[in-house]
Amino acid sequence: MSTRDMRRRVRSWGRRQLYSFFSSLGALVSHRLSTLMTSLVLGIAMLLPLGLFVTVENLRSLDLQQDNWGTITVFLQAGATKPQALALAARVEEQHAAIISVVSPEQGMQEFQEASGFGQALDLFEENPLPWVLQITLQAAAGETLEMAVRAMSDWLGDQDSVESVQADFKWLQRLAGLLALGDAFVTVLTVLFSLAVVVVVANTIRLDVANRAHEIEVMHLVGASNGFVRQPFLYLGFWYGLLGALLALLLLSLCMAYLSRPLEELLDAYGNTFEFRGLEARAGLLVLLAGGVLGLLGAWVSVQRYLRQFRLEGK
Amino acid sequence: MITFEHVSKRYPGGIAALQDVSFRLDPAEMVFLTGHSGAGKSTLLRLILMLERATRGQVIVDGRNLGTTPARFAPRIRRRIGMIFQDHKLLSDKTVFDNVALPLMIAGMRYPDIRKRVRAALDKVGLLSKEKSWPLTLSGGEQQRVGIARAIVSMPPVLLADEPTGNLDPELSQDLFRLFRQLNGQGVTVLIASHDLSLIRSMGQRVLVLSQGRLVDDIAGAEVAGTRA
Repeated sequence: MSTRDMRRRVRSWGRRQLYSFFSSLGALVSHRLSTLMTSLVLGIAMLLPLGLFVTVENLRSLDLQQDNWGTITVFLQAGATKPQALALAARVEEQHAAIISVVSPEQGMQEFQEASGFGQALDLFEENPLPWVLQITLQAAAGETLEMAVRAMSDWLGDQDSVESVQADFKWLQRLAGLLALGDAFVTVLTVLFSLAVVVVVANTIRLDVANRAHEIEVMHLVGASNGFVRQPFLYLGFWYGLLGALLALLLLSLCMAYLSRPLEELLDAYGNTFEFRGLEARAGLLVLLAGGVLGLLGAWVSVQRYLRQFRLEGK
Repeated sequence: MITFEHVSKRYPGGIAALQDVSFRLDPAEMVFLTGHSGAGKSTLLRLILMLERATRGQVIVDGRNLGTTPARFAPRIRRRIGMIFQDHKLLSDKTVFDNVALPLMIAGMRYPDIRKRVRAALDKVGLLSKEKSWPLTLSGGEQQRVGIARAIVSMPPVLLADEPTGNLDPELSQDLFRLFRQLNGQGVTVLIASHDLSLIRSMGQRVLVLSQGRLVDDIAGAEVAGTRA
């Protein structure tokens, strides 16, 4: 085949694509109501996993704000002295990057008086009953979770002679991490299920479309259309359905968030949290649109392959 | 242009639609195909269009043996054949222009060329003023002519027609056949299946007669003109 021949073929291929593209758009526009309803079903199907995903991501960001959840409080024995406390702090620092504050019994008493409001009652104690205290906030290093680091450090501290007791919030960390992992798993399950739903809904819609246009398909075959040419507008149509569905899902998501964000922020503010409800990033949004389109295309493909076979006119 | 060599077609279920049919159409020939309904006229046309395959024998169109041509080439074969149907097979949700343009769209032609060709084809069948109309607003004869415009728009070397005058009154039928002859005069091979015997006689062209799947007669044009029934 000469290059000129080749170029001519590519151009006519391009024009056929253009024709399919516009004919699929025409089909969408001429059936506005059914297009809207199909897209809405798809949008709602996509909204469910998306909504859960956004919720889980927001919980995760909440976790990051609560970095004092990784703080270990170490109470030394009653008789422990300042050098012992400082020595222990030094040894902790040798092992792990951490912010350590050493609280003397006097400082502790003062803080307690201010915070508790027991002020004068505490003066009744003849001597300060508080021990030396270390507050250790670990910095998670790369490749380990904060939870693991906190657990290891707590165990080590508990074995030291001068230590009376160790308190760590890693149970909370553990629970939150567990909840987030569960949330992630839910997102995965819902994504798979609802992706399947999108494919099936599009496949069924396209199937009806193919059936409604049986006459048109027959005529196109009779005047020399290839299977590819007949298939193309339906594939585009599937893509449009998926894309519109994703667009509606994103729209619905932002509507839901706008509705929920005020009460949610007020609630969390009441718990002393500065919290900002965050939606999807632009890149994630684009990815959702793309995924919607691809799923729609897939649904159309499944349907068209199956239902065009019955219109194939040439023999075996 | 079209050659049948001992062609038989048996449908699943054992019905023999064609049996041992042989004939030859030269380029630029105009031939009528006649016979009672069920004689196998439609099957014969469907074989040429590769809508069916012969059970036995060979169908050769434009130098290509259809029996050995893979199914994926069928669209390419059909694009070289203009087909006119009794029921027009027009798309009711597309304008006359778009209907006629369909084969050219399929071929991937440039739009300015499409417009030129479609208007030329519509002009030839006398429907240029109706290019923006919808097929259902046209009369039966006009719809048939839209079908013809669609068949000739890609300038195929072969034109097939299956009972093109089926629903038309005699005067319109006469016009239609005159149009076919005019196209034939421009070098197109024309094969028309019809059972309108009086009209066929008036045309004075070669006639193939099918009966129960067999080719029982092949009458030359000169003889047809001479006969009277």
